[in-house]
Amino acid sequence: MASSPRPLPVPEIESRLRARFGDDIAEFSDQHGHAVATVTPQRYREVARFLKDEPDLAFDFLDFSGGVDKEDQGFEVVTHLYSTTHNHHVRVKVRLPHEDPHCPTISDIYPGANWHEREAQEMFGIEFDDHPQPVKLLLPEPFEGHPLRKDFVLMSRVAKPWPGAVEGEEEEEE
Amino acid sequence: MIENVPVPSPVKFILNWGRRYSLWVMNFGLACCAIELIAASTSKHDFMRFGVIPFAHGPRQADLLVVAGTVTDKMAPALKRVYDQIPDPKYVISFGSCSNCGGPYWDSYSVTKGVDQIIPTDVYVPGCPPRPQALLHGIIKLQEKIAGEDIREKWSGQLTAPSSGP
Repeated sequence: MASSPRPLPVPEIESRLRARFGDDIAEFSDQHGHAVATVTPQRYREVARFLKDEPDLAFDFLDFSGGVDKEDQGFEVVTHLYSTTHNHHVRVKVRLPHEDPHCPTISDIYPGANWHEREAQEMFGIEFDDHPQPVKLLLPEPFEGHPLRKDFVLMSRVAKPWPGAVEGEEEEEE
Repeated sequence: MIENVPVPSPVKFILNWGRRYSLWVMNFGLACCAIELIAASTSKHDFMRFGVIPFAHGPRQADLLVVAGTVTDKMAPALKRVYDQIPDPKYVISFGSCSNCGGPYWDSYSVTKGVDQIIPTDVYVPGCPPRPQALLHGIIKLQEKIAGEDIREKWSGQLTAPSSGP
């Protein structure tokens, strides 16, 4: 194999992304040795293609792509990419509004994203524009609503409140 | 008129005795509980000792349906269909917390809160997952139930008639 198996340091990944995309990289951080970049939805596809095609980056494997409901701060699509040649990771985040969230698809760039995007679509109601097969993946066809949204009503919990402590609000035991 | 005559108890005893020790079991394993069910069928726990025969080749050859694992709303129609394909008289053991009541998924958007919402259930085995010994206990409880049954009522099919479920 021609390319080096050495992982590219996170600041190197940052400088390459910033040189190419400038201010469209809204945020960049190093989380546990993984580069995390927040990009605008408009340039999400470009970023994905750049990360895949650039020989020094060569992110050739899509680990996962999923949604996060951040309530007041809208939705986030998080895509984790890995390079099998360089053994380094990057997470690309796209911020979307809570009302009518739309995100471009990357399933033509990374075919592995196809089912991940379908799942995010049914679970969070994030529309992936130009997705080749925008239908439900796991949920039964008549299912209504998006069950992983924070405001999704769980009927069992309406009938009976959560019996344990809520995470982060546990009473300290003496 | 013959319908009104009670079944003589020796006949009842012999028929029920024969039925309770020949239970062809239909495996409906859906999650980790299925591993315990399979363990109960193999040589260490060996439920063939109790006359439970693993495994029926299809629902039409089965007497007993063991639902072992998490039933989801998406799987429920398939379970109902398998149950309806089993000829009378038939029995259902719900094995594990998930199939009893939803278990740890009690508030889930996708899990059926108890298999008895779909099909009539004879014995519930608690546990998450229950050990194979618990299934053996459940089988013995089921056999006690069969021993006390009025076969005419059971044979009529009215107790387990297909409903207009999912």
